[in-house]
Amino acid sequence: MSLFVRRSLALSLMLFLVLYLSPPLYAEELTIAFLPRGLGNPIFLDAFEAAQKKAFELGVRLEWVAPFDFDGDVQIEIIESLIDRDVDGIIASVNDEEAVSEVIGKALDAGIAVATFDADCPGSGRLFHIGINNYAAGVEIGKALVDVIKARGLQEEQLDTMIMTGYREALNLEERIRGFLEATDGEINLNIQAILENEDTVEKSIILLEDYVRVNPEVEVIFFVGGWPFYVPGEALPNFQKWAQGGGIAVGIDLFYDALLLQKEGLIQYLIGQDMATMGSLGLELLVNYLRFGEVPPEFVETGLEHANEDNLDRLLQIHKPWLVK
Amino acid sequence: MSSFRSQRLWKRLFRKMEIHTIRTKLIISFLLIALVPLVIMGVFSYKVYFGSLTKKTAQYSLEVVNRMARDLDEYFLDIEAVLTKEQDFYIDQFIKLAHARDFNNRKYTFRIWEDLNNLSRVKPGLEEIGLVFSNGNCLSNYGLYSVDYESFYRQVQEAVLPRGVALLGPGTNFLNKDVVCMVRPYPSPAWADEVFLVAGIDLERLAMITNVKLGKNSYIFLADSRGKIIYHPQFEAIGSISPYYEQGQYGKIAGNGNNGLFFTTAYSEVTGWSVVSVAYAEEVEAELAAIRNFTLVVIGLIFLGVILLAVYLSHSLSRPIQELQDFTQRAADNELSVHIEAKGKDEIAQLAHSFNKMISQIQELMSENVEEQKLLRKLEMESLDNQIKPHFIYNTLDLIIGQLESNNTSQASYLIEALGNFFRLSLSKGREIVPIASEVEHVRNYLFIQQLRHGEEYQYEIVIEDPSILENYIPRLLLQPLVENAIYHGILRAQREGKIVITAYRVDEDIIFEIRDDGEGIGPEKLQDLNEVLRGVRQLENEKEYFGLRNVNKRAQLMFGEKYGVFLTSKVNEGTTATLKIRAVEEDPSL
Repeated sequence: MSLFVRRSLALSLMLFLVLYLSPPLYAEELTIAFLPRGLGNPIFLDAFEAAQKKAFELGVRLEWVAPFDFDGDVQIEIIESLIDRDVDGIIASVNDEEAVSEVIGKALDAGIAVATFDADCPGSGRLFHIGINNYAAGVEIGKALVDVIKARGLQEEQLDTMIMTGYREALNLEERIRGFLEATDGEINLNIQAILENEDTVEKSIILLEDYVRVNPEVEVIFFVGGWPFYVPGEALPNFQKWAQGGGIAVGIDLFYDALLLQKEGLIQYLIGQDMATMGSLGLELLVNYLRFGEVPPEFVETGLEHANEDNLDRLLQIHKPWLVK
Repeated sequence: MSSFRSQRLWKRLFRKMEIHTIRTKLIISFLLIALVPLVIMGVFSYKVYFGSLTKKTAQYSLEVVNRMARDLDEYFLDIEAVLTKEQDFYIDQFIKLAHARDFNNRKYTFRIWEDLNNLSRVKPGLEEIGLVFSNGNCLSNYGLYSVDYESFYRQVQEAVLPRGVALLGPGTNFLNKDVVCMVRPYPSPAWADEVFLVAGIDLERLAMITNVKLGKNSYIFLADSRGKIIYHPQFEAIGSISPYYEQGQYGKIAGNGNNGLFFTTAYSEVTGWSVVSVAYAEEVEAELAAIRNFTLVVIGLIFLGVILLAVYLSHSLSRPIQELQDFTQRAADNELSVHIEAKGKDEIAQLAHSFNKMISQIQELMSENVEEQKLLRKLEMESLDNQIKPHFIYNTLDLIIGQLESNNTSQASYLIEALGNFFRLSLSKGREIVPIASEVEHVRNYLFIQQLRHGEEYQYEIVIEDPSILENYIPRLLLQPLVENAIYHGILRAQREGKIVITAYRVDEDIIFEIRDDGEGIGPEKLQDLNEVLRGVRQLENEKEYFGLRNVNKRAQLMFGEKYGVFLTSKVNEGTTATLKIRAVEEDPSL
């Protein structure tokens, strides 16, 4: 092989690598803004990382904007500012459907493509929603709880139960509760003593949980509609730890490394998780394809559920990586 | 014609005012004393106050803007301190991963968001704090978003201050909020591009710092060194060049429709901005005019108060004097029953008391005089009555006849002469005061007649130790009743021969008459009773009792005083001495 041919091949290879590794070039760079409910909620970090990677691949500019702690008014202000800044697309996780619908309508009127992820806002006219079927997730976790209760032979007893959610206005969370209650109804006898709202913040969820089990140690079941308090080690939840070790049964939705560790310690009996990374990457891709090529995605894109029980716990701990944010 | 009428009117008015009265004089005096200094003080105070207030207003404005400048400096120094970060591990790692296109950056991103969120809560008004990277990304407490880096970088270079920080804006931030941004380079790793820490400060915070009203329409604004308005209460003015900016400074603008604006300026060292207070001269002057009007109203009220007070005081002072004058006039018109009701203890009240006392004394003197006259008349009548007693006259006439029948004509002649002198001197031509020589002569005639009447049962002797006494004056018929008592109650009652000695002598300013008899005398009890009656210790029910003695004593006291009068000493069977003490009167007081 002549020197010329070798050099040509080397140049071709380098050109290929550069072209392959570089993001694709389009005439106009799109700006897509994700709106998680709060920057301080680590559940969205999977989606954040996945969306960054996908944005780089697709050659779009990614914005990831939210108040640190959820604040419905600020979320609306952010959407309004995105409209003013004329971004190309918005993908939002909506806590208060009623409050946000109007501003999503304004964005759509301004020609901005709007989708939702994680928490939907179906009445707003958004293009599509990517996430899980929250009602189904609630049913799944309800069934899992029924199995745990029956395994302990407590199905005939009335079990005092506390439910912890983010906001009662959040549609996705309400759907989970609805599914959970329907799945348990008639199977086991739950006496719902309280539904606590942690305002979608990790700190408040921990304070509420610790206070509740300290004041109400007789509660027998806790259903975590989301995984807010699971970002800390068991030692940081002494009252909950004591309660769980005393026979308390806890199940929850949201599955991540720290939560799996708590399950491993026996503080949680069952977890169901959602694939936040797919919500980030696929959601972005679908919106970009819509903007660039006019490909209209289905109105609901299911990202699937993941179960964590005694059988697959060790395997899941190997798959999921620590988030190291706390 | 009209001027004549007005002159008459004025004259009538002045006459009506009775300017000559004490009251009017007092009113005028009070008014002058109170109002002249008041007016002078008022005018002087107003001038001083006006000047002082103008100065104080300017000083206050300056103090206000200086304080605002200090507040601004303090606030922005705090923000600068927030932005002053040493090498931050998480930021450096974030930069490193971004360079490597490694998006497994959740740990660092989350920590940075957490830190920025915490920092944004450090200072009120700190709307946003973030990092701006050269790739146009901004990582702030609101997440990750894009900025126009070229424009941002150019602005930073243009606005950078000597100490390395830059102030940008005013503009809008990611959330469309009006902010000014403080920018400070982050000490990024040597291999990395420039990174800036940016703090977005809400303009509302600047509004709070400058929120002081110096007047109804006055306001305060902030402008940078080139006159660009950073903050202004009228939002549309923000970002424009101030029309009042001239040659790098603000001053009092004259002309061009801006006449009457006062500018007070302070410089903020940290921001390089000017704090400019704009006040309208009209407002300042209106405020002063209000104070002036208030001062005038106060002076007017004081003026009115002083007039009322002067009228009241003058009235209260002059009324008693007026009353006193009225009473005096009535007293002068012989209305001696007047009595002033004196209130208080002031001089006028004392004068009223003195007036009352004087009227009272006049009344006393008059009543004494009347009494004296009455006594005198009574005594005269008594004396005449005694003298014309038939047996006195008949005896005397029989005596004269006897002397004539005995051809003792010379004796008869003496008796007739003595009787004639006696009656003549008794009347004394109606005079109340007679020379002592006359009174002595009268007594001598009386003794002569009585001696002959009673058969020369007693002797008598009149001793005038100081002949000059005879030239003095004495109320008439003062000695004769005493001599009569000596004859009838002393000598005749003893039924033996006796002697009456009348001695007159001078003691200092007084003249003493002693009428001494060696007759029966008076018992001690009666003597004491008599002296008590004479001294007024005991009052008599029967006015005829001791009539002669009391009459003489009273008249002497009325004329000369309480220490004068008749004093009795006596011893039973040895005789009685009646001492008459009068003051020496050298001239006839009736002349």
